[in-house]
Amino acid sequence: MSEKEHKVSRRQFLTYTLMGVGGFMVAGAISPMVRFALDPALQAGGETEFVSVATVDDLTDEPQRFDFQLEIEDAWYTSEQSRTAWIYKDGNDIVALSPVCTHLGCTVNWEGSEDHPNQFYCPCHFGRFEKSGQNVAQTPPTRPLDLYEIEVRDGVVYLGSIIQRRSV
Amino acid sequence: MKWTTSQMDMYLNSKEYVDTAIIPLIPLDWKEDPKGKVSMGEFSSILVEEVERQFKGRVFQLAPFTYLSTEEENSRLERLVSWDKHFYDNGFTHIVYITSDGVWKRVEKDLPDMLIWIPSLSLESMDDTYAKEIISQQMKQILPLITAKWQEEPKERQ
Repeated sequence: MSEKEHKVSRRQFLTYTLMGVGGFMVAGAISPMVRFALDPALQAGGETEFVSVATVDDLTDEPQRFDFQLEIEDAWYTSEQSRTAWIYKDGNDIVALSPVCTHLGCTVNWEGSEDHPNQFYCPCHFGRFEKSGQNVAQTPPTRPLDLYEIEVRDGVVYLGSIIQRRSV
Repeated sequence: MKWTTSQMDMYLNSKEYVDTAIIPLIPLDWKEDPKGKVSMGEFSSILVEEVERQFKGRVFQLAPFTYLSTEEENSRLERLVSWDKHFYDNGFTHIVYITSDGVWKRVEKDLPDMLIWIPSLSLESMDDTYAKEIISQQMKQILPLITAKWQEEPKERQ
């Protein structure tokens, strides 16, 4: 290669240098902005808090009602809210169902109606669910009861966020 | 459903399922026993919130009906009857008034629909778990009253 081909004029040299330095300056100014913009999006839903609700020894094959407290951050204030779960043992598994009717949000009860043993029953519009949470056809709900995320540590059952299901 | 715009949307989408209005009756008095009145209001609000949570899909929790304790009994009654009429005429076939104020018990027979009167308990001195236990006991009494009401025909208005 001859020296001629590599020749960079003074003007070109200045242009390159200015572009390079300018580029760094712009990047330096913009990158924090991009981070600020993305940060909340990266954080939201990143982690769920697990709350201890029951001990494994408390559980039986029958769904039992457990109440627990959850800290809810609203747009305006943080508050402690009560939550309920219907928990039972299914062989070696543990199932924790949300009591919120998937029709319009009333609270369902296990065997809440004498006419329908072994089912969850919603007193508002008579929706029904099987033990697995499967909605019974011909009743208003159109999807199964939601599940809670479960973690078992040292014989204690912890519940996390809600998992929606299309079918059981 | 609650008195908020977001739940209002939910109501408008599923109107045909929501036939019950809950009206909390809350007394005000800054002269005679103000703290007692606050306690009544607080206690009935807690009960109403809980009823709403249990029956979210079928009841609408309206803004509270407030009145001065010194308000003439007839005028107070008249105002409540006109509230009742307004909501009855506009889609609610069942209306439940929830209060801790005993004055309503005296005029219960003049009310167009169901009164639930629960004397207030002072929850401030109780520890949290005990207070929750009390409320859940009260709920066991109140919820069946409302489900039983749903089995009956709505009350006729004059």
